[in-house]
Amino acid sequence: MIRQAAFTLAAVALVALAAVAVVNLLRPAPPLTAAQQARALEAELRCPDCQGLSVAESRTTSAGAIRTQIVRQLDAGQTPAQVRDYFVARYGEWILLEPASPVWLLIPFLLIGAAAAGLIVWLRSARSPMAAPSPTLVDTPAAPDAAEAVRQRVRDEVEALDA
Amino acid sequence: MLATIGHVAILVGLATSVFAAFAFIAGARRGDAALVAAGRRSVYAAFAMAGVASAVMITALLTHDFGILYVARNNASTTPPFFSVISLWAALEGSILFWTLILTGWASLVLWRYRQRHPALMPWAGAILALVAIFFFAVMVWPGNPFIATTPVAAEGAGPNALLQNHPFMGLHPPLLYLGYTGMAVPFAFGMAALITRRTDEEWLSIVRRWTIVPWIFLTLGITAGAWWSYEVLGWGGYWAWDPVENAALLPWLTATAFIHSSMVAERRGALKVWSSALILATFVLTIVGTFLTRSGVVASVHSFTQSAIGPWFLAGIVLSLGGGLTLLVWRLPDLHDRERPAGTVSRESAFLFNNVLFLGVTFAVLFGTLLPLIVELLGGGTISVGAPWFNRVNVPIFLALVFLMGVGPALPWGGASWRTARERFGIPVLVGVLAVVAAMALGLRDAAPLATVGFAVFVAVIMGDELVRGVAARGRSRHEAPPLALWRLATRNRRRYGGYAVHAGILVMAVAIAISATQGSQISATLKPGEQMTIGGYTLTYRELGTAPLPDDARVFEARALVDFSGPQTGTLATALRDYPNSDTLIATPAVRTSLGEDLYVTLIGYDGTSKTATFRVFINPGVAWIWLGGGMVGLAAIFAIWPERRRVPAATPADAPAGAPADEPAPAPSAPAEAQG
Amino acid sequence: MSRSLSWRRLRWLIVPLVVLPLVAVLFVGFGRDPSVIPSPLIGKPMPSFSLTALDGTTLSSRDLAGKPVIVNFWASWCPPCAEEHPVLLDLAKRYGDRVTVVGILYNDDAEGAARFLSRYGDGGWADLLDPSGGTAVDYGVTGPPETFFIDAAGIVRGKQIGPVTSDVASAQLATLGLVVAAP
Repeated sequence: MIRQAAFTLAAVALVALAAVAVVNLLRPAPPLTAAQQARALEAELRCPDCQGLSVAESRTTSAGAIRTQIVRQLDAGQTPAQVRDYFVARYGEWILLEPASPVWLLIPFLLIGAAAAGLIVWLRSARSPMAAPSPTLVDTPAAPDAAEAVRQRVRDEVEALDA
Repeated sequence: MLATIGHVAILVGLATSVFAAFAFIAGARRGDAALVAAGRRSVYAAFAMAGVASAVMITALLTHDFGILYVARNNASTTPPFFSVISLWAALEGSILFWTLILTGWASLVLWRYRQRHPALMPWAGAILALVAIFFFAVMVWPGNPFIATTPVAAEGAGPNALLQNHPFMGLHPPLLYLGYTGMAVPFAFGMAALITRRTDEEWLSIVRRWTIVPWIFLTLGITAGAWWSYEVLGWGGYWAWDPVENAALLPWLTATAFIHSSMVAERRGALKVWSSALILATFVLTIVGTFLTRSGVVASVHSFTQSAIGPWFLAGIVLSLGGGLTLLVWRLPDLHDRERPAGTVSRESAFLFNNVLFLGVTFAVLFGTLLPLIVELLGGGTISVGAPWFNRVNVPIFLALVFLMGVGPALPWGGASWRTARERFGIPVLVGVLAVVAAMALGLRDAAPLATVGFAVFVAVIMGDELVRGVAARGRSRHEAPPLALWRLATRNRRRYGGYAVHAGILVMAVAIAISATQGSQISATLKPGEQMTIGGYTLTYRELGTAPLPDDARVFEARALVDFSGPQTGTLATALRDYPNSDTLIATPAVRTSLGEDLYVTLIGYDGTSKTATFRVFINPGVAWIWLGGGMVGLAAIFAIWPERRRVPAATPADAPAGAPADEPAPAPSAPAEAQG
Repeated sequence: MSRSLSWRRLRWLIVPLVVLPLVAVLFVGFGRDPSVIPSPLIGKPMPSFSLTALDGTTLSSRDLAGKPVIVNFWASWCPPCAEEHPVLLDLAKRYGDRVTVVGILYNDDAEGAARFLSRYGDGGWADLLDPSGGTAVDYGVTGPPETFFIDAAGIVRGKQIGPVTSDVASAQLATLGLVVAAP
């Protein structure tokens, strides 16, 4: 009983949390300061003479020069998107640490989704008696509550001792 | 002279490996035990030869024998002995030698251990291991000879790569990693042997499982040590950059972890034979791909020492192992019948299988992201970069789902559960998880990813805690044991399950630590004159002085060392330096890290002016980083606990020893006669 | 057998289907140097600059209009820059009347430049200081030596990453419309 109640409560709590999260996401983000914008851009741009580090992380002079340029551009009133384009126009798309096209991001997720769906189909297609090795591990809907409580306790003990 | 000994040792190693392969194959086909024994001894001989060659190289490094090209390139007369020894694996040819040493060591160990068992599988496994050894010896004979001599002999060597000689972890990370990488050849060999001999019943699976977990432990520790080294040495304040070489080490770890989980389903049901074989093959091929990516210069990386002639050889190795293994698998496909089919969409089996889908998803994403720049260029789309932001965007959600599954799996029974059972099992854990998220938010945590991590981690912890409590209570009721004793007895009699829980606990610690350290840190840069201060996160740092001098134990290296006093949650002085190594264009930073359980104070010297003594510092506060390393250690210890051989008990003692349908115990390499008989 | 005949045949396709694409991608890797990035500036007007030369005068890109320009980013601490310097000297001597050569220092100072020039020879062309590195960023320079070949209209026609060899020089000058004598 407690467990059933807990589940209902948990479901309610989850929904509430999800609602809070959605509201938070949909709320317009507070405008970033210039420093925050600069920090964000520095994390997106690649240091030209390092191997894979961002301009934010790198110590090299060229990274420093790019950081200076970012600040200069933002101060001159450019938006972050314009600053990004400025660097892409000079270095090529290579200067961005994330490829511009979101297609590449989707590919792994699509594959995982397809594999998960395929797995579900595969699992459901094997409805055989083998699927339930022991009748005590599966609920029998018609069982009265008292017997069910006993079964649950037996299940618990067997599982606790199960290697 | 030394070079000749080394070179001859390698040649003999190649010859004995060739002989071993022939002996094993012929002995297997004819059922000739003497031939098989000869093959085994040849593998021991190959190991001895690799040992001789390694000893020769270490001696040459310690005595600064610049007549050998490898020594001239990677050692100098001022290099301290510790770094001379570990220069064995500092660069290309030496690391191939080290690899071969460990590979033949694993091969010798497993062949010795099974010298009187598994007579059908062992010779073929030996043959495969011998073939792999042949490949690596051949690489050392032709494109990657470590013992090329130089004439005239240089008076002074170039010294080790600057990044590889300023921290003792260089002595830890590669050996651990190599033990993990090369160890994956063993399960591969037995997997292929099972396919060749068509002995695809459960015998091979339990062998392969055991011989995957041990290298897995080394890989886990090696990857963690690598991240730790990167953090302490590279100076950018982070520990994982999704660099191609880091990815290369991670890929086989991912497929091996997937295999460890799916093999539990495979053992219980006699199922998933094709999948298991494919995973073992993939793990081994990925270790070769990883080496290829590191050594060939194909993808620019922090580790790319050279773009070398070895590349084409490794490409050939990948083609041979992947092509050969796949062909074998496809050929024997009709023999790989499953005894049962896992069923039930909501069951422990399905949780393990979804776990596999996710792990393989990460594997694909990491491989795809690493190779995408090459693919796009091949398709004429210009040059793009795929860096840390992309990898994090893809992988963080997947890892979060995996953490969630870590709780779901143990909570569901084998064979299938109704939704009602699921609801009963998950109600309280979900509730407590949500409460933990709310508590974290109340404490100031606002970013989505760490909140989700905390929530899922608590969810999993509650489920595992519930299992422990119920198990201990059951023992207490039936055997009247006090809880601590009951817990110990429970754990040691069900090492696989409770060791598994402990491993997962370690993973939870690491997950939360990574989530917090990656999002809740702060940093600041400042240029200071001596005496000036900067503040960050409760700390006040005072720049005291800057001294420039050559290193005491290596006079060719010039170091500018800044002393900084700090006060706040911790107090003390730290020294951070910039070093000028003669063989490096750029100055190498030595960050100073003051670690505490709560957070790290991390200070790097970015630049300085020698005359005015002005110095530019970058300071990070990194919360929770120490827990990442601790968590990694927990995982390693827990895994060792999980596979530690269980003492054989008299069957009448407890019913727990002989559960119906349970797989065999897992004796690790500790010989004791009854354990041996068990398999 | 429980498998149909067509599956028995078709399954062998798995092997090449898996192996070949992987090998193709890895093999392509050999054909390329991961440090060479093609420039998006080609075909676009040269980014403008106004910098101080070693002799103290100011030179701006506007002053260079009307003649093809070779802009060479270099540094005194960069060994390939020393390698390519004789090629540049020769180039300036032979075509200096038809092409302007300009050097821009990358992450370097006047003392270092002076030392380099006294050691390897001063070709007489202007060497400009870029202390903030802003011009290097404007040109998308990833590291010295990098050389840009710009035509008389001020459009960037070519970029060389790494040292300029005499073959590269001939080829690039040809695209700028110069008739080059055989070396």
